[in-house]
Formats: sequence, structure tokens, C-alpha cells
Amino acid sequence: MIEVQHLTKRFVGRTAVDDLSFEVGKGEVVGFLGPNGAGKSTTMRMLTGYLPATMGTARVAGHDVFSDSIRARREIGYMPESVPLYDEMRVVEYLNFRAALKGLRGRAVKENVGRVMDLTGLKDVQRKIVASLSKGYRQRLGLADALVHRPRLLILDEPTNGLDPNQIRQVRSLIAQLSTEHTILISTHILTEVEMVCRRVIIIHRGKIRADDTPENLARSSRSAGMLTVEMKAPAEEATDALQGLVGIRRATAVPSAANGGWQQFEVKLDTGADPREEIAELTRGRGWPLRELRANQATLEDVFVEITQRD
Amino acid sequence: MRTFYILLTKELRSFFLSPVAWVVLAMFMAICGLSFSWSINILREKPQDQSIVQWTFVPVWFWLYYPFLFPLITMRLFAEEQKLGTLESLLTAPVRTWQVMLAKYFSAVIFYVVLWLPVLAYFGILTWILRGKVEIPQGALVGSYLILFITGLFHLALGSLASALTKNQIIAAILGFAFILLHFLIGVFVMQQAQDHQEFRPIMDYVAIKGHIESFASGLLDTRPMVYYTSGTLFILMLTHQVLEYRRWKS
Repeated sequence: MIEVQHLTKRFVGRTAVDDLSFEVGKGEVVGFLGPNGAGKSTTMRMLTGYLPATMGTARVAGHDVFSDSIRARREIGYMPESVPLYDEMRVVEYLNFRAALKGLRGRAVKENVGRVMDLTGLKDVQRKIVASLSKGYRQRLGLADALVHRPRLLILDEPTNGLDPNQIRQVRSLIAQLSTEHTILISTHILTEVEMVCRRVIIIHRGKIRADDTPENLARSSRSAGMLTVEMKAPAEEATDALQGLVGIRRATAVPSAANGGWQQFEVKLDTGADPREEIAELTRGRGWPLRELRANQATLEDVFVEITQRD
Repeated sequence: MRTFYILLTKELRSFFLSPVAWVVLAMFMAICGLSFSWSINILREKPQDQSIVQWTFVPVWFWLYYPFLFPLITMRLFAEEQKLGTLESLLTAPVRTWQVMLAKYFSAVIFYVVLWLPVLAYFGILTWILRGKVEIPQGALVGSYLILFITGLFHLALGSLASALTKNQIIAAILGFAFILLHFLIGVFVMQQAQDHQEFRPIMDYVAIKGHIESFASGLLDTRPMVYYTSGTLFILMLTHQVLEYRRWKS
């Protein structure tokens, strides 16, 4: 659905997007992550044909977004970060206008506007002036606009930006619902949202792709993955040596600040794929060291994001 | 063409939903009504060299309001869209930049034409009241409308260009006014020079807007100003298109 080859965008004095290449297949839901200024919005703007590239190519549904921009844009539903709307129009008028602009005619306009208003919960406010809508409804209207012409690709730039937790949950479930019909490229700062909705994550930093995998694989590759936390009542030095003597353990470290009433916490770095929890339990039993915690650390997407974006 | 029509309809709606448009319309009707009744009074007192058409369309205060009219009409055209960011959602729909630009420009042209329509009604009513007692010079009326239309096209294009150059409506209005004033002053300068230097006369015939309006209002139709304003309008619209593309590219 999306094919990007060596896409580069330079502004005066800075390179916003630097030699980006990736593909997104039909039906994929891809989280496009990165810190502010990483080049996410610039990439999205290029994919929608709004910004020309300095170098490289981008195709959407087989159409070059630069040389065959109108055809490419027909396939895209785009929701910009700031959700710009015409404040003086009514909700239903705005959607009618956008539907007609995107090539729908006659009955198709009415049907599709009705469909997206149902989908996004705008029916109750359809006669309201856009200027009087709350932030949550404006966001929904932006989403309805992106969906109205049944695009094959949805590009959503921070769709939950500025929403309260309830509204975020609503938009998230809506996106999950949409993922059955559309290919979705979604940019957001809320990483739990990505873990829940996206089956693939691209992390971009300083205009370059730094990671491209499933959220699970990325979490597994994190530095904090492959670690165990062990808490037991044992002498620090002796226990460290004993742990390091077990197969599958690369390094064990006593955490000094965690010593409390004789309880000692250890951080254990494992060899790739190793899981010596059973052996550790037997060791503590054999030595008579009371054990109160033995936990495999789960790295989150947030850990990966922080590692990647703070590496440079 | 369909896309253009959709955009034009939307623009016209926006125009007539904007309070500025109604204020301009009301003020303009007041000025024109005043000019018309004033011209009737003048002609009632004693015979004049100029016709009622000239007194109405080009009264002594014409240049005090005419240059302000265009920035007021055009200032929001692109500046507002750029400020609100709606240009991005507009140009990521399957729409071309020139379609957006022309739809906005022609909505301004239609509004400008609407402004002048009541004056035509004044002459219609006067003709009906006088019924053959006094002849209203038809040529002067056609000439006045023609020159106001073609200079209007040109000035609206200048205003559109000013609006495309900035996100701020006030700056767009000031810039638009500056462009129109500059064009007017060039015309005045060339007219003055033409009095002493014959070689300036052909240039004057093209660029002196004051002279054009006065001669057309007297019923004298000249094709040179028509060519000048039409080609000038096209050039400025092309420039506006380029400015919009440039601003989009560097956004």
C-alpha cells in the first residue's frame, strides 16, 4: 500500500527526513513513532502529496504521490495533527463539502456522511457549528473527514492529541475497529495506544528509521529485556557468586540501595534465550535463603523508545 | 470543473457568512447611494460638462474609498486558510492548487460584482421615473461598468497575491492596499510626465488607471487598458499560484 524509497526532505539549514525507505502492506496497522521534530509529520505530509520531497520516491496504492498526486490522494484519508476545520460551517455541511471534494456524488455523499457520523458518534451534533464543538468532537470530525470517501489508506497524525483518557479510549477502539477495513499509518506519543492497536512499529529519530518491527520483537530486543529481579535474604557477595555460577546467567549484581531488613535485591542479566528461574529457586532452597521475589522483567515499548531516541 | 464549482460554492458561502462582507456591502451601498443622490442634485442646479454616470461612478471622493475596497474583500482569502491550517486539509484532498486559487479569486470577483449591482438598479429606477424626459447615456454606463469590472479583476488579483503572501489578514490588507496605491501612483506619475514629455504618452495610455476610469465613464472604450488589465490579472494570478506553491513547499 505504501512504498517509500530513499525519501529525503531538506529545509533551509536542516534535514527533516533523511533517506527513509520502508513499505507498508495492505491491511497493516503501523505505528509511526518518534520524538517531536523527528520527521514524522513531514513524512506524512509528503505521503499525502502536500509537501514535495527533496529526493526519493513514495507510492501509495501504486500511484506516485508526487507525479500522480491526485490519484494517490483519492486513496488516502488524512487527519493532520492540528485538525484544521472550517469553523463557520455546520458539522454535516462540512462533511458534505469534504465528501463532494473527494469525488463522491449525489446519494453517495449522503450515505457516506451518514455512515461516518454513525461511526464517529457525530449524529447528535450534526447541526452544530464547528466552532462550538469540544476538542473531542473536533477530533472525531477530523477522523470522519478522513474516512468519508472510504480510502484504502488512513494516515492519522496524533489522532488522540489533547484528548482526555475517556476520549482517548473511544478513539483507540474506533481505530481498532477501522483496522479491519483500512491500512493505517498512525503517529502518536501514547505508546500504550500503539502496543494495543498496531501490529508493527516504525521508530524514526532525526529523520532516520531506527527500528522497524512488531512491538513484541522490539520489546524483546530492549536492553531491559533478558533480565531477572531476584529478592532473597542472603549475603550479597556469596549470593552473587552463586547466581553467576548457574548456567544461563551472564551477570548478577546486588542492588545496594534495595537492602532492607536483610532482604537483598539482585539484578540478573541472562544469556539470550535462557530462563534459569527454576535453578534459582532450587539454589535458594538448597542454601536456605528465603526467596520472596523472582521476576522476569518485561520491557515495554516505552523502554525501547527511550533507548533508541536517547542513544544519540 | 466540478471540483472548482464545489470550491467556489463553499467560498461564496464563507463570504456571505462573514460579517466583514456585510459591513463592506452596507458601507459601499451607502457611498454609492450618496454619490447617486449627490449627482442628481448637482445636475438639478445647473447644466454640467459631465453626465450623471460620471458623477455617480467617479465622484470626487471615488479615490478615497475605491482602493480600500479590494483589500477588504481579499484579505481573508488565503491568509485565513494559512493561519487556520485548513489549506493543508484542502490540498491533501484530490484538489489542485490552481483550482483552490481560482475558486477563491472568482468568489471575490462575484462579491465585487454584487457590490456594484444596486447602482444599476438606481439607474433603472431613475430611467423609469423620468420615462423619456432625460436620456441616460447608455455608452457611458456600459463603459463605466466595463472599466470597473476589468480594473476590479486586476485589483482583486493584487489583493489575492497579498493574501497569499502572509498568514495575517491585517498584513494582507495593508499589503494589498500598498500594491494598489503603488499602481495608482505609477499611473499618476506617468500622466504628469506625459504632460511635458510626449514619449510618456503611449505608456500613460496603458498604465494610468485614473485616466482609464475617467475616459471609460465618459463612454470612450479603449482596448489598450483592457489588454493591459487582463494580461496583468493573468500574470498576478500566476504569481499568486507560485506563491501558494512556494509557501506550501516550505511549510
